Amino acid sequence: MKHCLIVDDSRVVRTVAGRIVKDLSFTVSEAAHGAEALEICRKDMPDAILLDWNMPVMNGLDFLRALRREDRGKEPVVVFCTNENDSEHISEAIRAGANEYIMKPFDAEIVESKFAEVGLV
Amino acid sequence: MQESTFNELADLALRTTGQHIPASKSYLMEARLSNISRRESFATLDDLVHCLKARPNQRFEHEIAAALTSKRTHFFREKDLFEQIIGQALMQRLKQSTTGRLRVWCAGVSTGQEAWSLAMRLREEVGSPLASADIEIVGTDVSTVCIERATQGTYGHFEVQKGLSIHRLMTNFTRENSGDWTIGKDLRDGVTFRRHNLLHPAQDLGAFDLILCANVISDVAKAAQVDILTNLSRQLLPGGFLFASATEQIEGISPTIKPSRDMRGAFERDTAHRSTVAA
Repeated sequence: MKHCLIVDDSRVVRTVAGRIVKDLSFTVSEAAHGAEALEICRKDMPDAILLDWNMPVMNGLDFLRALRREDRGKEPVVVFCTNENDSEHISEAIRAGANEYIMKPFDAEIVESKFAEVGLV
Repeated sequence: MQESTFNELADLALRTTGQHIPASKSYLMEARLSNISRRESFATLDDLVHCLKARPNQRFEHEIAAALTSKRTHFFREKDLFEQIIGQALMQRLKQSTTGRLRVWCAGVSTGQEAWSLAMRLREEVGSPLASADIEIVGTDVSTVCIERATQGTYGHFEVQKGLSIHRLMTNFTRENSGDWTIGKDLRDGVTFRRHNLLHPAQDLGAFDLILCANVISDVAKAAQVDILTNLSRQLLPGGFLFASATEQIEGISPTIKPSRDMRGAFERDTAHRSTVAA
């Protein structure tokens, strides 16, 4: 089973996204900000990361840049999932190494479609 | 909704667009006619049908029939089929072409995502012979509302996130202040949309190298399937291909088409059957 880490400071979003991702046959772990996510990745690198942008302690973009700098032999697929829906934010995320981008609000069909785009399902 | 109302509307759909709506899907009528019903201030569909019978209005009937057709679509819905169309079918047609010009018809295109997806995928053929070909894509639908939306090329937040990668979104669309996304100017060359009822002959559209009619045949009654496939076959150039969705079975429905000899899953005009191309 593939492992997906959901990084979002909203418990509601983590719960909803977690259910959707579990239905796609992933095991799920959660983090409330980028620093917590980085710790989880150092212990057990996931296959996929669903990543919010604006979070306390460490935001999604800083987390992604830090993650891509680390060489742990496994490059997880990173899908941003955020309210930042303008072209500038999307371009910045792609430059930082995001593989896909989900604009909130989202539904199960969008998550499945985006995961399919990057070969996760 | 009264049973007689359902029967009237089902008959109207069958007569006008060939669509078969079983009684088990009467809820679809309520959903698909809600905008028209609200706009015309009918409290119920029973009132709408009562008015139609009292004051017959062909234009309004056509609008209702068009509204009853399925609008379900999304970008790159037929992803594998697109790869075959571009990698094999259009390449083969281009090799046979003396002008370098190809025409593609997306028949029953709904709000346009299929035609725009094909245009996007063609744009990615950098370095391929198709990159320098003059390829025209014509999308048609029976619904005027759908054709207006397809031509405008503006799609909402949920629509652009189903079937479309973020790279394709960023490459081919511009974001509106409203949060919607609109097809970019670069992609619009060679893509046009026209209202057309597939039950009617299509000479006005001209002849095509390739016709894609996906997720249409499975929604219409048997007699309409024959009429539609016959009309499509008449617009196929010799050697041209007709594709339906991979999940649709169209073999044996109309004597005017037969499985292609050299293109898996495609159909071609059966020249043994009397049928003329209206170029």
